[in-house]
Amino acid sequence: MHPLERLVNLVALLLESHRPLTFEEIRDAMPEAYAQDETPTAKRMFERDKDILRDIGVPIQVSATDAWDVEQGYTIDKREYYLPEVALTPEEVSALFVAARASGADETFEQAVLKLLYGAEGGLLSGATPAPLAAEASATDPRLTAAADAITDRRSVRFAYRTSRGTESERRLDPWGLVFRGGHWYLVGLDHERGEIRSFRLSRVRGDVEAAGGASPPPEGFRAADHVQVGPWGPGEPEDRARIAFSPDVAWLATRAYREARVEATRHDGWVEVSVPAPPGDAIVSWVLSFGPDAELLEPEPLRREVVRRLEGVLA
Amino acid sequence: MPERGRRAPTKASERLRRLLVVVPYIVQHPGARIAELTSTFDVDEHELLEDLERLFLSGLPPYGPGDLIGVDIQDGRVWIEMADYFARPLRMTKPEAQALILQGTTVAGTPGAEGSEPLASALAKLRAGLGEDMAKLAEHVEVADGGRPLETIGTLRAAVRDRQRVRIEYYAASTAEITTRQIDPEEVFLAIGNWYVTAWDHRSDQERLFRADRIRSIEPTGERFRPRGLQGAGRPLYTPTPADVPIRLRVGPEGRWIAEYYEVDEVVELPNGAVEMVFPASRLEWVARLVLRLGPDVTIVEPRALKDRVREVASLTRKRYEPSSPDGVSRD
Repeated sequence: MHPLERLVNLVALLLESHRPLTFEEIRDAMPEAYAQDETPTAKRMFERDKDILRDIGVPIQVSATDAWDVEQGYTIDKREYYLPEVALTPEEVSALFVAARASGADETFEQAVLKLLYGAEGGLLSGATPAPLAAEASATDPRLTAAADAITDRRSVRFAYRTSRGTESERRLDPWGLVFRGGHWYLVGLDHERGEIRSFRLSRVRGDVEAAGGASPPPEGFRAADHVQVGPWGPGEPEDRARIAFSPDVAWLATRAYREARVEATRHDGWVEVSVPAPPGDAIVSWVLSFGPDAELLEPEPLRREVVRRLEGVLA
Repeated sequence: MPERGRRAPTKASERLRRLLVVVPYIVQHPGARIAELTSTFDVDEHELLEDLERLFLSGLPPYGPGDLIGVDIQDGRVWIEMADYFARPLRMTKPEAQALILQGTTVAGTPGAEGSEPLASALAKLRAGLGEDMAKLAEHVEVADGGRPLETIGTLRAAVRDRQRVRIEYYAASTAEITTRQIDPEEVFLAIGNWYVTAWDHRSDQERLFRADRIRSIEPTGERFRPRGLQGAGRPLYTPTPADVPIRLRVGPEGRWIAEYYEVDEVVELPNGAVEMVFPASRLEWVARLVLRLGPDVTIVEPRALKDRVREVASLTRKRYEPSSPDGVSRD
């Protein structure tokens, strides 16, 4: 009997059985599969098949077949076997499918998506065109999957990190969240040494992310995204706002790029006044200066003075 | 649960795994076309038919005519009966669920990516269905999107597909100027976190690369073009020109990001986290603004002309901060 037939029959038998079956019962039920050989050979073949099924994710359980625990039987719990039902719209199914077929998509992701297609509208996917490159960051990066594992297993991690400023050090972290931003993955958590919440760009991790002991859980209501820089003005959304005037040439650029930027007024000469979150530090000053004479920082006054100070430093 | 790094599965297990995904689809879509199945599940037709034949010999004990799975193949279509227990696929393995969350998020979290919105809503719906562990992971995976979705990209994609010449208003960072031009867009692609379109530019009569977020407006001209086979994804983002001069900057730790953000030719590590980098530029305007942005942390090694240009830009900018600027732009 072909192995594929034997495996299909075994899955069907265990799925449809209402009670655990012992190896002898399985052998009796599937004589062509396991009764052709001597018992030890057949048993070995059965063990191999069982491994294959577990390998592809078939949840075979072992339990006692009687109240006295004398014999062990095998069963597949339907609730454990079947993919839970999720009602996806045709747009959602196509989007998943297109992403799975994009160049550079990884095989495991594709397998996951194919499992979701069974309920799709017939013929829906034949028309799907090959996708252009949709995302650069690799989701199969071992540093990312190790970080994800650590979060689900609630384990702390250890890794060597090189900051954007070029300093390298060993870090230990209770990982609390992963954030995807601007094409990069960031790991956010409690930094043991500093006792503070820090975010780390995974592409700057040198070597592996290693699991290292238990980890504390994130505080109630923790949002990892709040700890990753989201604009030129830094992380989070501080209450203080800066007001900047942009020339008509660039105002649309400055406001389109950042969700947090608010248009406050448009002047008669076309200049646009915009407000943005302004955390402490001079990130805003640098950002405004990058527009050259096309931008003027209006408020707050200390930041405005800092712009002037920097310009005079250049002119001196 | 299978773990990563397991031994390579045998051929039979690969085929079983595929079958447990394809069969539910056929059960739910009686009379599904073979051609649709081979393209959707990326499987060789011969192999698929072979596997379906095996399935035909399988079923439940005692394997009498009423116990076997019914497989009917006619006129390029397939019907499967007596396989209700295979009407739904096997649940996801842990690596599959994890890949779905992580890879799905990279696409959903890329503003402008095709299908990023339906993908995000699909992931939100799936959360609960991927098992307890994965629901926990999904809860801790977030997207921080600084940018707004760009309608421009949708218009560009349609223009590429329909070979429509478009008129764009474009902000050229190199000169800090807005120009209007007609372009023949050939490919939209993502590189270093930004969307680009590679196109034939009728203004310069040359192949050009445009950054999608710097296109202020876009409208079809109504004319069609014949594609020239211009290269998109994977091409260098900077096209050298005869007017290029090497720019050599020395920056402190705060300015290291430039080497990650721009395509630089050379990076030399200096003491205390400083670096010296070299990159080509044909126009100095954008480099001058970059230098202003970096502040006191940057030293211009060459060219001399850049130092002058920076002073000019700084002086023009400084004027904005005087009570009433000379070109009539006042504060109130």
